[in-house]
Amino acid sequence: MPDDLLQFTREVREFLDAHAPRAAERAAFRWGEGDDRVAYFGADPPEVEERKLRAARDWQRTRYSSGFGWISGPPEYGGRGLTPVHELVYDGIESEYDVPDTGTLSVIGLGMIGPTILAHGQQPAKDRYLPAMYRGDVIACQLFSEPEAGSDLASLQTRAVPGPGEWILDGQKVWTSVAQHSQIGMALCRTDPDAPKHKGITAFLVDMSAPGVDVRPLRQMSGGSDFNEVFLSGVRVPDDHRLGEVNGGWRVALTTLMNERATVGSEGSGPVAEALSPERLSALMRATWTWDDRALRRDLSELLADMMATGYLNARAFRRMQAGVAPGPEMSVAKLMYAQNLTRAAHFTSRVLGPLIIADTGEWGTYAWTELLLATPALRILGGTEEIMKNILAERVLGLPKEPGIDTTSPFRALPKSGGTS
Amino acid sequence: MNDGKEELDELREAVREFLAAKSPASAVRAAMDTGYDPAVWDQMARQLRLPGLALPSEFGGDGFGLTELEVVLEEMGAALACSPFFATVVLAAQALLASADEAACARYLPGIAAGRTIAALAAAEGNASWDPAMVAARAERTAAGWALSGKKSFVIDGAIADLVLVVARSTAGPSLFAVDRGASGLRAEPMTTLDPTRAMAVLTFDQVPAVLVGTEGRAGALMSRVLDLACVALAAEQAGGARRCLEMSASYAGTRFQFGRPIGSFQAVKHKCADMLVRVELAEATAREAARLADEAAAEFAVAAATAHICCSQAYLFAAAENIQVHGGIGFTWEHPAHLYFRRAKSCELLFGGPAVYHERLLDRLGI
Repeated sequence: MPDDLLQFTREVREFLDAHAPRAAERAAFRWGEGDDRVAYFGADPPEVEERKLRAARDWQRTRYSSGFGWISGPPEYGGRGLTPVHELVYDGIESEYDVPDTGTLSVIGLGMIGPTILAHGQQPAKDRYLPAMYRGDVIACQLFSEPEAGSDLASLQTRAVPGPGEWILDGQKVWTSVAQHSQIGMALCRTDPDAPKHKGITAFLVDMSAPGVDVRPLRQMSGGSDFNEVFLSGVRVPDDHRLGEVNGGWRVALTTLMNERATVGSEGSGPVAEALSPERLSALMRATWTWDDRALRRDLSELLADMMATGYLNARAFRRMQAGVAPGPEMSVAKLMYAQNLTRAAHFTSRVLGPLIIADTGEWGTYAWTELLLATPALRILGGTEEIMKNILAERVLGLPKEPGIDTTSPFRALPKSGGTS
Repeated sequence: MNDGKEELDELREAVREFLAAKSPASAVRAAMDTGYDPAVWDQMARQLRLPGLALPSEFGGDGFGLTELEVVLEEMGAALACSPFFATVVLAAQALLASADEAACARYLPGIAAGRTIAALAAAEGNASWDPAMVAARAERTAAGWALSGKKSFVIDGAIADLVLVVARSTAGPSLFAVDRGASGLRAEPMTTLDPTRAMAVLTFDQVPAVLVGTEGRAGALMSRVLDLACVALAAEQAGGARRCLEMSASYAGTRFQFGRPIGSFQAVKHKCADMLVRVELAEATAREAARLADEAAAEFAVAAATAHICCSQAYLFAAAENIQVHGGIGFTWEHPAHLYFRRAKSCELLFGGPAVYHERLLDRLGI
């Protein structure tokens, strides 16, 4: 490790020692004791969610005031001016401490939209939002997906029409995480329907409290509401909130997507990972008297082998990134495997449980698995469907040719749409 | 902190170049009929010092670890290189090291490190089990020393070995013995193998004079260690072979036209290749991570070894089978190399017992 990283490491430890307790050793697991929820999606009651959000904002403020709020950001906007490797080092060390989860702020806002504003924003927007975001005051969401633009994001239809010094936005966005907590949203809009689909899009920062912005929770199949629909009706956006050039929004969107924070290393923890540890799964088999079922034991081994292999892949990618080596395809592979592993795990536990997962007997650690079971279908869809991920791997890593099509050259207006409308 | 990555890359490049020159497809085909090429084995030892790479320096090796050996084995697996490397350097040499018998190591390892000695490990018998508890071959004390009787099967490179390490049962339990080629009462018969690039033999022992290696009755623990290491070494070969199958498929799918398009532009084919890539990446990561953990003598090594064996077995078989499918008819011909990888993949998967054994081994190593 180079000297400056060593020095940085010492600084990080000093800061964390002064502000947070070390994570407690995980208590030995005992069947029937503790929380038996296996939650992938949050399903906290609103008051708990509010409390967690406050704690997250407070922790981000503390980081910021000590110089760890935006480690790789430029100093003129409150950043520390260091490298992404320093960020990784910080994250690695912080994971040893018991600190509030700041995901609501960081995954999309600080991880993806902040860097986009920095790269493509106009001066007033940069001055106004960047320090406020990394200080924990402003939360940002991503107004990208639409009912008619899922995997094919560039076919989005929300319109932005120019007025004097401003734009008027109309349309509907969907699958928007954290919109209910956000002060700003980054919206992709159609500004030239006569251009090919990638060339008629413009990106804007939308004030989520502006008139005409309507955020409605979307209830998902698991019962909770982790996403929203966002309706935009005549929303006025000043031109200095435009990101990048007019009709240059696709490039801006790529900046956002490229910053999609590496999930490397972050999936080995949390309630789901704990519930799927070899120890817990074998306890489940003992409790259900399926301990010596040879078929289930084989399924368990297959599942554990893949989960451990994914862990090794992550560990290696993480070590390489810490050493400053550009990551290869590991992250896309890890994402695909994560979805597959959790899906298989949910079905494995349901086979172990049998009827105990179709109706609640009240027994600890049994019906609780429905929560994971009902969440797993999302994992193969969100953040890029399995099919799109495979296209990306095959085209970018293996160099296989794209599917020939007309939709990148024809005017957007002329493309066939679902239901035959245009 | 960079894992010595540049040195590993240089080693990989050197081995790859060597194998491209000395073990091209034509050489593999020739070796299938006539056995390995002693001249190439000799160059491998003299030019690249590969047999001694991961052997301790006090026994004539260069003292590197499994991490470096892993690189060599990946390349050998990718090229289907036919040589007594796996039997000699992995199975036999690791058995000697695991025995902790200084005298035996000093006697045999320098020859192995220099490429002078070809060695084999005779553990499995007719029932194909590598579990020492299943060993029926007997070792008896005679006036002249130990004498072995019984029959060993699936002995990799057993017909060409100068030195055979044998697991046989004495009154104290399974023990390891060394037998020299040409010892009286030893007979070797080549076996017909599914994978023609890896030779195996049946060895028959009739009162064969032998030398005890390590402690009598302790081959159980020894074989457990050797199998863990062998699984990781095999995993490297498997990962290398699987990677080569993926490369063949991706290259063919990009150049083969049907319906006026490269077949790789069809999602049905593209996704098949992506699925192979996912499995290959996992296989490589587990094999390399297991090697790293072995070098660090980490407690997690045994679990990682079992994981690598499962993941790499599955990945190779999957990649080898899908490679034939991507190639279509041409992939089913004798001339095309795809079937050689398929044969190797199947053979590797089942060499140490296959799914019937390796799932329970992983659960055992996890304490389940």
